[in-house]
Amino acid sequence: MNAKVDHFDPIVFERPGVTLTRSQVEAFGREIDALREEIMADLGEQDARYIRNLVRTQKGMELAGRGLLFLGVLPPAWLAGTALLSVSKILENMEIGHNVMHAQWDWLGDPALDSSTYDWDNTCPAEQWKHSHNYMHHTFTNVVGKDRDVGYGIMRMSDEQRWNPAYLFQPAYNWVLASFFQWGVAFHDLEYEKLLKGEKSWAEYREQRRKIMKKVRKQVGKDYLLFPLLAGPFAPWVLAGNATANLTRNLWSYLIIFCGHFTEHAEMFSEAEIENETRGQWYLRQLLGSSNLEGGPLFHIMSGNLSHQIEHHLFPDMPSNRYKQVAPKVREIAERYGLHYNSGRLSRQFGTVLKRINRLALPSRRTRKNATV
Amino acid sequence: MNVITASNSHSGSPGLIRRLGKALSTPFDPEDYLALFNPLQSAREIRARVTGVHRESDQAVTLTLQPNRLWKGHRAGQHVLLGVDIGGVRHQRCFSLSSAPGDALTISVKRQGRGGVSDHLVSRCREGDVLTLAEPAGDFVLPETTPERLLMVTAGSGITPVHSIVKSLLASNFDGKVTWVHFERHYQQLMLSDSLAALRQDPRLDLRLVVSGDSPRDGDQAGRLDAQWLTENIADAAGQTVFTCGPAGFLDTVMEWHGEHGRAPLFHERFKAAPVVAGEGGRVHFSRTGGQAEAAAGLSLLEAAEQAGLKPKHGCRMGICHTCKCKVSKGRVRDLQSGESRELNGQEVRICIHAAEGDVELDL
Ligand code: FES
Repeated sequence: MNAKVDHFDPIVFERPGVTLTRSQVEAFGREIDALREEIMADLGEQDARYIRNLVRTQKGMELAGRGLLFLGVLPPAWLAGTALLSVSKILENMEIGHNVMHAQWDWLGDPALDSSTYDWDNTCPAEQWKHSHNYMHHTFTNVVGKDRDVGYGIMRMSDEQRWNPAYLFQPAYNWVLASFFQWGVAFHDLEYEKLLKGEKSWAEYREQRRKIMKKVRKQVGKDYLLFPLLAGPFAPWVLAGNATANLTRNLWSYLIIFCGHFTEHAEMFSEAEIENETRGQWYLRQLLGSSNLEGGPLFHIMSGNLSHQIEHHLFPDMPSNRYKQVAPKVREIAERYGLHYNSGRLSRQFGTVLKRINRLALPSRRTRKNATV
Repeated sequence: MNVITASNSHSGSPGLIRRLGKALSTPFDPEDYLALFNPLQSAREIRARVTGVHRESDQAVTLTLQPNRLWKGHRAGQHVLLGVDIGGVRHQRCFSLSSAPGDALTISVKRQGRGGVSDHLVSRCREGDVLTLAEPAGDFVLPETTPERLLMVTAGSGITPVHSIVKSLLASNFDGKVTWVHFERHYQQLMLSDSLAALRQDPRLDLRLVVSGDSPRDGDQAGRLDAQWLTENIADAAGQTVFTCGPAGFLDTVMEWHGEHGRAPLFHERFKAAPVVAGEGGRVHFSRTGGQAEAAAGLSLLEAAEQAGLKPKHGCRMGICHTCKCKVSKGRVRDLQSGESRELNGQEVRICIHAAEGDVELDL
């Protein structure tokens, strides 16, 4: 592009076919801000009813599922119970827990749905999650070295990450991570590599580990000890049902989350790129680092509306039931500025994630694009 | 209903069942599941069902409440922060409890005409609704040793805490004398009139109703409180322990009179807090550490606290992670992103994107 240099309004963003000046990026940011304000001012009874009904549905399904599992010797009861429990765990972790902890529902003033007190049915303690996710991941989205969701400390998801031979096996251990996703999430907060580098003290590490283990004991005690014991002779069926439900939830949340930031066109960033970032540039990075999934209303709810990953990253504390309403507007704005709006069906998006995992298992040959954000 | 007994019977029950329930429902509470069947169930907040709605007039209502087991009872004269969902959103306001401890819990509410909690309760509250209550609070209560002679001076809604005090006093073996003067414009506005009529039968109580807008009925008086009224109408008013509650101007009159003449203690309860001082930028008070700081108009509360040497929890510093949320006990703040200005009263805000507008009290 033959953009002429304007010292008052320099070009701050370049991609093939698009350049944006500082003032254009800020104008983009203001449009996104306006969108946010429009929705936030409109929140009301409908939204409140949505989340409360959802919580009731989820809790009801959980009770029914656990109840049916006590009759798990009968195959239909076991299947139905396991399915109900799986769905309820997915709903609780994704559409309820994740979003409540993002403070999406704090405006209700309901202590049962408040980000400061909510804890979810997952081995990762809420407090640590809020730090590594709400703060680190959402502020430094896809910034290699800052956002630990880039590979969860064990996978190479970006050319920016230095290759080592262990990554040769990542196409295989990717599936191990998927199956034990809640454990990966819980323990990746420990940031053991920071410990090795001396950026973190042993005392801090031990304290964190103690908190995780406390939560782990309770979670494991519930699903793998108490409920099976309560079932007496039917313990094996209850145990198997609970384990299956946790596995299903792990695989599903892994699938949705990996499709959120590791699809083919999802961009990665370096720490240098985000120095002195403005709000407009931050929005830009959220848009380019995230990817959406297309599907029906039920699919969106089951994904915790993370199928609207782009909208979630632009507006992390907007109630998730509103993402579908802002999505077309975000897309329209993005397209007007010539920005890529990364969206596709689950199968296609996940296919590109696997491609990335396979490609980055090998050392990178080419150097990275010469772009600035 | 006896609240005290209800709560005792629970704490006496074996903790083992509860521990098991907690372990089975972790990280939630058994109540979160039981609430599917009974909305009163909660492990984290006192919820109360409205079991009676008595319309005092078209301007006022007395609600009978049945709280869950978390309610531990109140002392006569105390108030409680009551929460009600309006349009799905929790709204809270303080009300004095009008019932005597041990009786069925009641609050009596007058319409304010501003569309808030009071108006909602007066016009839309129905039997079966569920409200939330905080722990009862306030020191507008009788002292350890009850004085021989008491003078109650109330007006309007000020009747509610004093009703609670007088009722519990008369239910006890109190053998002194209470004089209670209540001022009201119209009879129609008088709350708790049925109960007053019953209390009036007690020889230990001398209840006087003073109306200013209607002609007084048998036994009542016409008039309005002024600087001399108490001295002129109550024998040895200055020598009695005074309890007073009512609108701001009314309270001021009573307190001025007491300041000049009173020889015994005075207890008072003010319903509305003094208005907050607003302005561009302002002074931030840190209620936990005791310090304070001057904050310029565009300076976030987080920066103000840091400049004062505090280290509040924070993350993104741009309003997205909610790590920095902190309670503002009192004051007006401006959202630095939207420019919106809000008056706060115990709500939490993200201090990284809010600035002080006038005096702000921060829970830091
Ligand atoms: S520090 Fe993240 S919201 Fe204030």
